[in-house]
Amino acid sequence: MRTADVVTQLRPRLSLRGRLYLFSGAILILFAINVAVSLWGSFARNESSLAYQEAVTAAQLTAELEQNLQNKRQQVLVLATLRETTDDPLEDSQLDQARADLDIIAERLRQLGNYGGEDLEAYYRRLHDSTTTLIEQWRQFYIRYNQTGSTPSVEDARSYNNAQQRLRELDQRQSFIAVQRATAIDRTITLTDQITVVGFISSIAITLALVLAMIRSTNASLTRMKRGVERFGSGDLTYRIDEQRDAGEIGDLARTFNEMSTKLQTAIEEMNTARADADSANAAKSMFLANVSHELRTPLNAIIGYSEMLQDELSDETELNREQFHHDLATIILSGKQLLTLINDILDLSKIETGKMQVSFEVFSPATLLVQVCDALSPLLTQNKNTLVLNIDKDNMRDMNSDRGKLQQIVTNLFSNACKFTQDGQITVSAFMNEQALTVTVADTGIGMTPAQQARVFEAFTQAEADTGLKYGGTGLGLAIVREFCTMLGGTIEVESKPNEGAQFRVRIPVDPA
Amino acid sequence: MMETTGQILLVEDNEVNRNMLTRRLERAGHTVITAPDGETALSVMREKHPAVVLMDMNLPVKDGWTACQEAKVDEAIRDIPIIALTAHAMEEDKARALAAGCTDFATKPVDFPALLTVIAAALNAHS
Repeated sequence: MRTADVVTQLRPRLSLRGRLYLFSGAILILFAINVAVSLWGSFARNESSLAYQEAVTAAQLTAELEQNLQNKRQQVLVLATLRETTDDPLEDSQLDQARADLDIIAERLRQLGNYGGEDLEAYYRRLHDSTTTLIEQWRQFYIRYNQTGSTPSVEDARSYNNAQQRLRELDQRQSFIAVQRATAIDRTITLTDQITVVGFISSIAITLALVLAMIRSTNASLTRMKRGVERFGSGDLTYRIDEQRDAGEIGDLARTFNEMSTKLQTAIEEMNTARADADSANAAKSMFLANVSHELRTPLNAIIGYSEMLQDELSDETELNREQFHHDLATIILSGKQLLTLINDILDLSKIETGKMQVSFEVFSPATLLVQVCDALSPLLTQNKNTLVLNIDKDNMRDMNSDRGKLQQIVTNLFSNACKFTQDGQITVSAFMNEQALTVTVADTGIGMTPAQQARVFEAFTQAEADTGLKYGGTGLGLAIVREFCTMLGGTIEVESKPNEGAQFRVRIPVDPA
Repeated sequence: MMETTGQILLVEDNEVNRNMLTRRLERAGHTVITAPDGETALSVMREKHPAVVLMDMNLPVKDGWTACQEAKVDEAIRDIPIIALTAHAMEEDKARALAAGCTDFATKPVDFPALLTVIAAALNAHS
C-alpha cells in the first residue's frame, strides 16, 4: 500500500498505458535477472562437473603411470638378474614388446601433461624430465641386453626414485588443486543458489507490490471518475472531476466527462430559460386576456345598462325626459366607440404579429395632423383635469411623405396614455422638423415609471405593474402598437421617465421613406 | 317583516356606470346612496349603516378588496352584506372577492334582474 502511495506521488500524471508499460517493463527486467542468475548457476555447476572429471582422469593417469613404472622396473630387475645367471638373449618379439611398453609409458606421461595448467606446470616439467631420463635409461638397457660382452646396467636407482618422487609430488599437487577448485566452485554454486532464491522471492514481492500499486492507482483514478459520474447522474452538474490528477486516457476521459457536464449544464440552463420565457409569455397572455375581458365589459356594462334602462323608461311614457334621453344615448354611443377602439387595438396588434399590417404612404401636413389629434382628444384631457401645452414649430414644418393613419394613431396613443396616467397635471406636445425627420415629443407630469418598468414598457401584453390595467385602464397594447408603427415607418421611439415626475416619449419619423 | 327596499350603498368610480345603476335601482324601488372610492365607502358604511353594499373592486384611493377586508374586521359594520360588482369575470376573481369577505359576486355587464335577486337574497339573509 505504501509503495502504491509512493508510485502515485512520484508519477501522479502517468497515463494508464504508461502505467501498464512501466509495470510490464519492470516484470520483464525481474524475469531477465532471474534467468541470468539461473544461467550463471547452471554454468558454475557445469564447470564444477568438468573440473571433477578432469581431476579424476588426471588421478587415474597418475596412478596408471606409477603402476607402469613399478611394473617396468620389476621387469627390468628380473631381466637383469636373468642375464647375469643364464645369459640368455631376448627374442626380438620380447624387445618389441618392451619398446612398446616404454612408448606407452611415454604416451601416458605426455597425456598427463594435458591436465593441470599453470599451477602444475613446474611439477609436471620436473616429472617429465626425471621420467624421460628413466625411460631413456631403460631403452639403453634393452638395446645393450643382447649385445655380448657387455653387462647391461640397470637404471640408476636414483632416477627411478626421483621419478617416483616427482610423480607423488604431482599427485599431491593435483589433489590439492582439485580440492581448491571444488571448494571455490561449491562456494559459487551456493552463492548462485542463494541469489536465485533471494531473486525469486524478491521478484514475487516486487511483482506483488507493482500489481497492488497498479490496481490502487488505477482504482483511485476510476473511483474519482465513478464518483464524478455519480454526482453528474444525481444532477449536480457544477461538480468537476479533478482532471489534473491523471494524464493520458483517464485524464482525457475526466476532461470529456467535465465537458459533457458543462454542455449539459448549459443546455439545461437554456431549457430552463426557454421554459421560464414561455411561462412568462403564457402568464402575460393570460393577464392580457383578463385585461381584455375587463376592458370589454366596462363599456358593454354602460351600453347594455343604459339600453335596458331606456327600454324600461320608454315603456313608461310619463317618465320620459327628452333631454335626459338624448344624453343617455350619447353615453351609449361613446361607450360603443370606446369598445370599437379597443377591438381595433387588438386587431392591429394581431395583424402586426402575423405580418399582415400594411403601410400606405401619402403626402400630408404633420402640423395639421397634430392639431387635429389634440383637438379630438380634448375630452380625455379634461377628464383628469389636465392642461395642454402645444408647442409646434410651424415655420419649419413642411409636408411629409409617410403613413398618415399610423402617425395619427401613434400620437393619439401617446396623448391618451399621458392623459390616463396624469392627474391635475400638464401634457406638453412638441414637434419640430429637420431635413431628415419629424420629431414629436409627448411629455406629462404623471406617475412616471421606474427604469425596470421603462425597459418593458413597449412589450405587448405588458403594463408597468400587473394591476396597472386595473387602476388606469387599458390593455397594455397602446405602446406596443406605437413602437411597431414607428419601426414600420422607419422611425424610432424612446422614453425618459422618473417615478412620480412624469414621462416623456420622443418619436422620430423620417420625412421621406428610406 | 322583511324589508325589501332597504338603503343600498353603491360604490363605483365610473360616473357613467354609477349614474346608470343608481337610476335603475331607484326605479326598482331601492334607496341608493353612492361612494366613488373604497375609503369613502367605509366611512359611509359606518355613518349610514346601509342594508347592503354593491362594491366595484377596482377603485381609486382604496380598492374594493381592501375595503371589504377592513369592513369585515370592524365590529360596527361587519354584518353588512357586501356584493362584489366587477368586470373581472374570471373564476379566480370570484374566489378572490369571496376571500376578501364579500357575500356574493356579480359581473359587469350587469344582468339586472339577477342583481335584484342577489340583493334581495342578501337583504333576507341579513334580516
